[in-house]
Amino acid sequence: MIEVSGLRKTYGDFAAVVGSEFEIDRGEIFGVVGPNGAGKTTTLKMLAGLIEPTSGTATVAGYDAGDPEMRHQLGFLPEESPLYEDMTARSYLRFFADLYDVPREVASERIESTLDRLDLDYRDRRLGDVSKGMKRKVAIARSLVNDPDVLIYDEPASGLDPLTTNSVLEFTEELREDDKTVIFSAHNLYHVESVCDRVVIMNEGRIIARGSVADIREQYGETTYHVYSDTALDGTDPTADGRHRAVVETMAEVEAIQAAATDAGGSVTDIRTDEPSLESIFLELTGQQMPSPRTARDTEPASEPTTDQHEVEDAP
Amino acid sequence: MTRVDRLRTRLTTAGRRLRRVARIARWELGQSTSSYNRRTLAVIAVLVVVVASVGTSAVALGVASPSPNTDIYRVGVADNSPYNAVIDDHASLTARPPDRTALATGEIDLLIGGVRQPAAGPGPRSPTLLVEPADGEKGDAALTAFRSAVQSYNDRAMALEPNRTAAYPVIVELQYIPQSTLGPAAPTNAGNLTGDDTSADDADGGDGTDTDANDTDTNGTISDADGGTADGGGDNTTGTDRTEGDAPPVADGGGGSLLDRALFGGGTSGSPAEIQPPFPFGSLLLAFLFLVPMNFVIQSYGSSILNERISRRGELLLVAPVERLDIVAGKTLPYAAIAVAVTAVIAAAIGGSLLSVAAVVPIAMTFLAATFLGAMFARSFKELTFVTITITVFLTSYVFIPSIFTNVTPIALISPLTLVVMELQGEAVTLGSYLFSTGPFYTSAGVLFLLGTGVYREEDMFSQKPVPLKFLDALDARLSGIRSVGVLTALFLPFVFIAELLAIAVLFVLPIEVSIPLMLVVIAAVEEVAKSVHVFAGFESDRFDRSVRTALLLGIASGIGFFVAEKFTAVAQLVGLPNLQLGEAALQPAGIGITPSTSLLLLAGPLVLHTVTAGVAALGARKNLRWYLVSLVAATAIHAAYNFGVVTLYG
Repeated sequence: MIEVSGLRKTYGDFAAVVGSEFEIDRGEIFGVVGPNGAGKTTTLKMLAGLIEPTSGTATVAGYDAGDPEMRHQLGFLPEESPLYEDMTARSYLRFFADLYDVPREVASERIESTLDRLDLDYRDRRLGDVSKGMKRKVAIARSLVNDPDVLIYDEPASGLDPLTTNSVLEFTEELREDDKTVIFSAHNLYHVESVCDRVVIMNEGRIIARGSVADIREQYGETTYHVYSDTALDGTDPTADGRHRAVVETMAEVEAIQAAATDAGGSVTDIRTDEPSLESIFLELTGQQMPSPRTARDTEPASEPTTDQHEVEDAP
Repeated sequence: MTRVDRLRTRLTTAGRRLRRVARIARWELGQSTSSYNRRTLAVIAVLVVVVASVGTSAVALGVASPSPNTDIYRVGVADNSPYNAVIDDHASLTARPPDRTALATGEIDLLIGGVRQPAAGPGPRSPTLLVEPADGEKGDAALTAFRSAVQSYNDRAMALEPNRTAAYPVIVELQYIPQSTLGPAAPTNAGNLTGDDTSADDADGGDGTDTDANDTDTNGTISDADGGTADGGGDNTTGTDRTEGDAPPVADGGGGSLLDRALFGGGTSGSPAEIQPPFPFGSLLLAFLFLVPMNFVIQSYGSSILNERISRRGELLLVAPVERLDIVAGKTLPYAAIAVAVTAVIAAAIGGSLLSVAAVVPIAMTFLAATFLGAMFARSFKELTFVTITITVFLTSYVFIPSIFTNVTPIALISPLTLVVMELQGEAVTLGSYLFSTGPFYTSAGVLFLLGTGVYREEDMFSQKPVPLKFLDALDARLSGIRSVGVLTALFLPFVFIAELLAIAVLFVLPIEVSIPLMLVVIAAVEEVAKSVHVFAGFESDRFDRSVRTALLLGIASGIGFFVAEKFTAVAQLVGLPNLQLGEAALQPAGIGITPSTSLLLLAGPLVLHTVTAGVAALGARKNLRWYLVSLVAATAIHAAYNFGVVTLYG
């Protein structure tokens, strides 16, 4: 549905996007993540035909990006999508439906059903008088007014409260069932991880990792084990609750610690498995400051691991 | 696909585009009107209705301006005196019984006596009304008011007279001729009456009675009104007096409507009282009438465009399947329609026809186009305010100042407003004059919209680039290859034309020895900038490789484009601008108005000149801004030297 090849955008000496390449299948939700200035928004805008690439090609639904026919197949939700605040939700959506040549009857039906799905009230109230979440929902409804095959959502849940965020994410997932192809960009990597089938991680204009979240986790992350004992051992650090903790990367090391604890007259009280989040992989790949658990062997982790906990009171 | 299918497809596409433009226009209209508080609009509407109603009623009742001077002067006059009507018609006068004692005690301010018939021998040869003012300043003021009342009364009576020949036995037609044709010995401030009547210096015709009955002797007598010969007219005019025997045409006062007469006084023909020396009051008023509403329109238009950019709302329209040109057209259409409608109403009110509307519409389009481009460049409302004020001042000056000289010099035709003045004065406007006046405006508006639409895109609309960089972007957006450089150069010609004509209008007041050399340099500089600035933009955006070969090719393309477009200045010949010495200096170096024997040489000359100088500038432009400026100075020097040579050889 979307094919990107050698996509490049430069502004003078600054390269915003360098040779992006990826393909997205119909019905797929595809995530684009990266730090600020990584080139995510520029990539999305090149796909939407808003920015002309310096070189490379991008086709969307079989049309070159920017082709007027392509625009009929595209719904775009920019990161900031201020509305015409003197209009009502209905009149705003009808205006865009007219621009997309959607017949009046079809437009009315589609607008009402989309607003129903988004649980949007106050359809005849001035948009200037409704909440930010409502405005975002109207913007999402606008992206669907032409029933496009491809949707480009740049930070769809940006600045929304948790309830509305969940609502927006759920709606995005539902789009998969409608056979829509969605490109999804977000700063909150949990959102990307929870919604997207595949992701690319961008940094300084380049794609530095790609694949499903599981693939990336396997490829770039390592599982770590936090082993807690009631006895001080070599390689353990005291914790606030009086126990001692070691962070290791293999089960063999875990077993060695268990043996050492037994030899010292103590025991291992807890083992926690830490699978790397997309966030931690992202931070490590992009060289951000936040240390990952794997590299914080000798320090207190920023947060306690929460995944795959094991109670090992009955461990040997 | 058959030809019919292709045509059908095109028509369908065109229909869709028009529908979208109309939809955007309707939406824009709704947006612009809803941006005002509805309650405020309602209050304004009520106020307008109240003011209009009160004004209309007041005018109908004759109490439009309740003056503090009402009935302030008491005039003693007999019941059977014809001057009762004069006093009744004048607000500040009120009739009282004619009593000399009352005059002495100050109960009346003026006493109308009898009429003294002319005596034989020296002295007044017309009946004289004896008027006696009370002692003091109030008496003198009452006398002045009474004189004014008599004059107004007589003017009205004459205007109502069905026998126009009897009312105005002398008709004067003014003909303005160029000062240069009078020769060096011609008087500069005296009339040059042709015919056999009095000279212009012979004001207040000494051998007849005046038509306006306003001669007053120092003793407070007023000569009676019974018609007579006219004086010679105003300064700097020539005229032809007609006598009764010539069966002159009825004086038309120079125009059709009452407002027209008020604007232009007596115009160029009519009774001596109706003839007034040229004064730009009419042009001044026209400039305000037509241009002031446009300022409101462009404020609203500019704000709308900038709002789309500042708030990034325009991004969603750019993603929609609508051409940029259609978006701009849709957003502009309501404001253009308002400007045209207002122009039409004003034109109708002042007695203008479709010609007046057709003359002002290109001004309105240029206002809108300049505002559009300015709003595309501005980074804030503060900058937009600066832009709109600059546009207002420049365009108002450009259309107003030349129109002052409507009857004086063909240069006035650089302003389309001059066409309106001409129409209201009853002068014929040729197609050539219309094209000469409005062509640069139409083309300028088109080019400005074209440049603005070029940067109506995501990368420029929502960025905070400095204005000069946006300007270069706008130019670069219209470049695609070497040929496009020539086309863009040609499209700049209206601006070159406007700049040069403005320079002529500004410099023609200077002594010819100063103005012509100055003009030749200014023209060279303007033309060299027009030929090279987009080439520089193309190099800066890396659209062109910076090789010497490319620079020379671009220079040649630009020079050819300018040469071809420059030939369009031949339209200037249609209105006689080259007949002016300054016009010759400005236009003849381009090869216009020359003899056939030299035409071949001067046809090749400008072509070589333009390609060489454009090449020089392009060589500098390929490096950087500093080198571009240096090469621009060099190109201007070469061009100016050429201009001096042509003027020296053929001028």
